[in-house]
Amino acid sequence: MNGISVDINHLKKGEVNLGTSIMAVTFADGVILGADSRTTTGSYIANRVTDKLTQVNENIWCCRSGSAADTQAVADIVKYHLEMYTAQQGEQPTTKIAASLFQELCYNNKDALTAGIICAGYDKRSGGSVYSIPIGGSIHKQEYAIAGSGSTYIYGYCNKNFRPNMSKDETIDFMKKSLAQAIKWDGSSGGVIRMVILTKSGMERLVFYPHNYVDSE
Amino acid sequence: MAGLSFENYQRNQFLAAKGHGVPKATSTGTTIVGCKFKGGVVIAADTRATSGPIVADKNCEKLHRLSPKIWCAGAGTAADTEMVTALISSNLELHSMSTSRAPRVVTALTMLKQHLFKYQGHIGAYLIVAGVDPTGSHLFSVQAHGSTDIGFYQSLGSGSLAAMAVLESNWHEDLDKEGAMKLCSDAIQAGIWNDLGSGSNVDLCVMEVGKDAVLYRNHLTPNVREQKASSYKFARGTTAILKEDIFKLIDVEEETIHSEAMEVDA
Amino acid sequence: MVGKDCVAIASDLRLGSQSLGVSNNFEKVFNFGHVFLGLTGLASDVTTLSETFRFKTNMYKMREDRLIEPETFANLVSSTLYEKRFGPYFVGPIVAGINSKTEKPFICGFDLIGCIDFAKDFIVAGTASDQLYGMCESVYEPNLEPEDLFETISQALLNAADRDALSGWGAVVYVITKDKIVKRYLKSRQD
Repeated sequence: MNGISVDINHLKKGEVNLGTSIMAVTFADGVILGADSRTTTGSYIANRVTDKLTQVNENIWCCRSGSAADTQAVADIVKYHLEMYTAQQGEQPTTKIAASLFQELCYNNKDALTAGIICAGYDKRSGGSVYSIPIGGSIHKQEYAIAGSGSTYIYGYCNKNFRPNMSKDETIDFMKKSLAQAIKWDGSSGGVIRMVILTKSGMERLVFYPHNYVDSE
Repeated sequence: MAGLSFENYQRNQFLAAKGHGVPKATSTGTTIVGCKFKGGVVIAADTRATSGPIVADKNCEKLHRLSPKIWCAGAGTAADTEMVTALISSNLELHSMSTSRAPRVVTALTMLKQHLFKYQGHIGAYLIVAGVDPTGSHLFSVQAHGSTDIGFYQSLGSGSLAAMAVLESNWHEDLDKEGAMKLCSDAIQAGIWNDLGSGSNVDLCVMEVGKDAVLYRNHLTPNVREQKASSYKFARGTTAILKEDIFKLIDVEEETIHSEAMEVDA
Repeated sequence: MVGKDCVAIASDLRLGSQSLGVSNNFEKVFNFGHVFLGLTGLASDVTTLSETFRFKTNMYKMREDRLIEPETFANLVSSTLYEKRFGPYFVGPIVAGINSKTEKPFICGFDLIGCIDFAKDFIVAGTASDQLYGMCESVYEPNLEPEDLFETISQALLNAADRDALSGWGAVVYVITKDKIVKRYLKSRQD
């Protein structure tokens, strides 16, 4: 470690890895988060029905990639701070506040963490919003974000097919097709596709089984 | 003296570097499983403890009690699973006394994962945590680095692949208690027979909503040692003795007689 | 080893630095009241730990106004070793004794970080442990009288030590019954 190039992609021996395909997309009514469901230790699938979409507040969720232990710990800490915020301020925190908490934790502990997080949520002030916090602890506000090992295969596809202000069905279809490709080409992604839809009318959960997405080009 | 001491760490590194053999810790190269059913949850384990290729204990206990209705099965470094379980069990009891509530499985799980995360995987405890509490029955697993998983069935340890094969092929949604017990012991047996790190007997624990947890110690014993055909008893006097000392254990009773009452200043 | 209303604990007497023999009267079995502790491993740690346990059991005796029982002592050993989880003592301890209240024989062994191995029959530790496992598994039988237990444990130890270059140079055996302890030094090879 020379201070300039730091190997932050290493995983401790035997650590549970979320070799993942995750994404979050803003659309006309809010935001949708999506993820595959595979966790691996080496070449063994430790869990084929993992839930990588984690709720941290009423209408704020995150997608986790990297080390399972690290991202769960970070999400738990953020969840705690947001609960305190709600109790003390008497109002729900914005997505930006949650994302900033994630960013600060990931940046301050960058040498100890392997965590790539997408934080997305719906709040009255800014509607649906997506923040990407990759390994290293930077923060990027985006219209949509993709992350995890599987995301590398779908940069082109997403760039070509994403349009701002899509309808709900269009967005679900876009995400399903994107994640289907990521799962297809990435060995460490697989299982079912999970989604969470966040709008002004609350949240909705979806699950797509392989026969529902494999031929969705 | 709170916490753990690293006093001998450098010395041991030096000793190891100089080529002295480092003693091996016993690991529970293990098969452990858990499975939910309608109205409860079952966990099971094999009973072999190993240190390298040597079977250190042929009938050890890998099912630990965290609270009367929350039990966990441990794989990994034997001492770590034992000690981390004892610590969380005691903290759980204190927590339930201060809150005047029955301990919950998620509470145990959170305490475990936060403790293990703090030690960054150096405490080698891999646990399946299960139990019943006022919110229902639960089944989780925790890895040494502090990550947790949830599911209807779980398997951990060196025999987890063999066990998972059984769970994946035989598990179905509407299992009853007997079905779950059968499934768990079949999964453990897959480990016992096919995994070298697992062996001996099947221990099982059933936790049902509204009932006391029941531990079936040595539920199955498919590896009973054959009776020896003849005795290897040595004739008395076989061993040559150089010197013999005999110590008698005697009771010493002490009695203090107070001749007069202690004087106290007025 | 456990016998009928008795237990036995035995060790060799060699102290060595790798292949060089240093002493032929290094006792590795210690007693704290009626509880016996065998310590194999790094000699400095054997001495350090035996002194630590002498201190701890003396403090226990003063606090409780009674001697420590084998089961209690086993847990004391376990927690003392685990305290040094990330910088352990290089030892392989075993505990043997008869509970003075229940009069039940008790033996157990530990790994270097304090995991207790409760056994009904026998416990082995040290450089000749592989050979001892083989000897004990074949030669041991349950419910031996003290005199027979002495022969069994002695032969198991002697023959195992003869197949280990780092063990030998004399041996000592304690046979413990509820009101008598017999300590015997064995005649053994000196090479």
